Amino acid sequence: MKCVKACPTSALSMADNRVYIDSARCINCGRCVQACHNRGLLAQGSTLEDLKNYEYTVCLVPGALISHCSNIEEAQDLFHAIRLLGFDEVVDMTDVTARQLQEAQLMADSTNDVTYISSFCPVINRLIANRYKVLQEFILPVNYDSEIAARLIRKKHAGRNVGIFNLCECEAKLELAKFPYGNMEYEVDHALALVDVFPAIRKNMKQGKDPVSFNVRGLQVCNPARIVQKDTYLIADGFDKVCAVLDMAEFGLLNQFRLLFLYPCFNGCIGGHMLWGNSFLMTNNIDALSDGKRRDVSYIPFDDIYTEDFLRTDEDTRSFMERTIFFRNVNEQLEKLPGYDCSACGMQTCRIMAEEIVKGNKKIEDCRVLHALREKKNDNQRTD
Amino acid sequence: MAVVLHKEYKVLRDDYGSAGKVSSDIKQTLNSIGFDPKVMRRIAVASYESEINMLIHAFGGDITMDIMDDGTVTLVFKDPGPGIPDLEKALTPGWSTASEKARAMGFGAGMGLPNIQRVSDAFDIQSSEAGTTLTISFRAAQ
Repeated sequence: MKCVKACPTSALSMADNRVYIDSARCINCGRCVQACHNRGLLAQGSTLEDLKNYEYTVCLVPGALISHCSNIEEAQDLFHAIRLLGFDEVVDMTDVTARQLQEAQLMADSTNDVTYISSFCPVINRLIANRYKVLQEFILPVNYDSEIAARLIRKKHAGRNVGIFNLCECEAKLELAKFPYGNMEYEVDHALALVDVFPAIRKNMKQGKDPVSFNVRGLQVCNPARIVQKDTYLIADGFDKVCAVLDMAEFGLLNQFRLLFLYPCFNGCIGGHMLWGNSFLMTNNIDALSDGKRRDVSYIPFDDIYTEDFLRTDEDTRSFMERTIFFRNVNEQLEKLPGYDCSACGMQTCRIMAEEIVKGNKKIEDCRVLHALREKKNDNQRTD
Repeated sequence: MAVVLHKEYKVLRDDYGSAGKVSSDIKQTLNSIGFDPKVMRRIAVASYESEINMLIHAFGGDITMDIMDDGTVTLVFKDPGPGIPDLEKALTPGWSTASEKARAMGFGAGMGLPNIQRVSDAFDIQSSEAGTTLTISFRAAQ
């Protein structure tokens, strides 16, 4: 039941000892997986078996994982160990991330009246599409770094059967690939969950070193304390704080800012659920991994950077009247419910229960609290 | 035109801890019904500004929201005083009675009422020492 309670968008419910996830509501934040004390919920990625299906394989490594290395030698060791898993090429994404950041800054710095919202986190994009529709048009049209990187790799090896694997530090990024979840619109072929492959990576450690050279500005993007700071940028991390910022933005209270960098995970992507280290220590590693040289970011064609996919939402086919009357009926049912939000019926809150009653999936008799109150009343009558 | 949804709220005097709660609920209601984001934005800005005015300048008050069958949203903010002494001035951009301290904190830029008037499709305000009633409406593109 902890998972049902943990969901910020009320996507989870329970019936007959099973957990159900409403995919229209779910924003892939992973809080249910974190809350589960029985390890009953897992976000699974593809397996290394899938490497066999390709002639040439590439692994994308995110900055958040690189930040786990406390110095360059450790990073060289890590890249070698990942390559030993069977990849032909291991690509560090920090250069692409730096370009993504540069593009976001260029757009934000060239306006005087728009408050843009960073687009690098899929959870934020889905949260806005779900709950903050007013702000949707302000999400920057800059694509995910894994997508930009994958497009470049695809072009470089045009004509070959290349398999692109993204090593993910959080649940949400597992969705940004063709497999395992069947999201064919993405350029990345497979998403690997870091927790699944880490034991294999560990075994391969201390067997050699691969050359690495990170773009520090890209590496810094994975942490709110290290990312580029400016008085016209607002940087927030932690789910509740991010929601508070989005609320303020909807009320028009953040008009003095040009760009909102929002991280639903505390301490940013370094705090990704599949990473194990203390995120404060990792933050300091970012400085240690810098070679001190400022690099120009690589040239990437605009078409590979921009996307309009973030603006896509599912159309509600119901008419305005149907939607309003549904809402009114839900409110009427809600009045009858006790309002404890106890979840004993399997629904997260009384409001969700009221919605299910109006939809015809539940009955008011299914409320455990009302049931208990009725029983008590009957008992009292009997004793009288 | 018939009312399809009617909601009532209360703003308690000096209850700063709850500042913005009503506008949040209004915003969430419209979001779950699925209003046009552009209209929702205007309503969010106006309702927040009006709710805060009620808290800062008046002794709390009552807020009602009515959604009509054609998608029009009407909000009424009714407070029990002390009233706006010079309504004409209060509707002038930049004019404010807020103290230096409140201004330093970012409040009282004098854009409150003019702003509400600017974003709403219909605007009416009545004020006396017995209280102020602000009625604003928004036509929704459905």
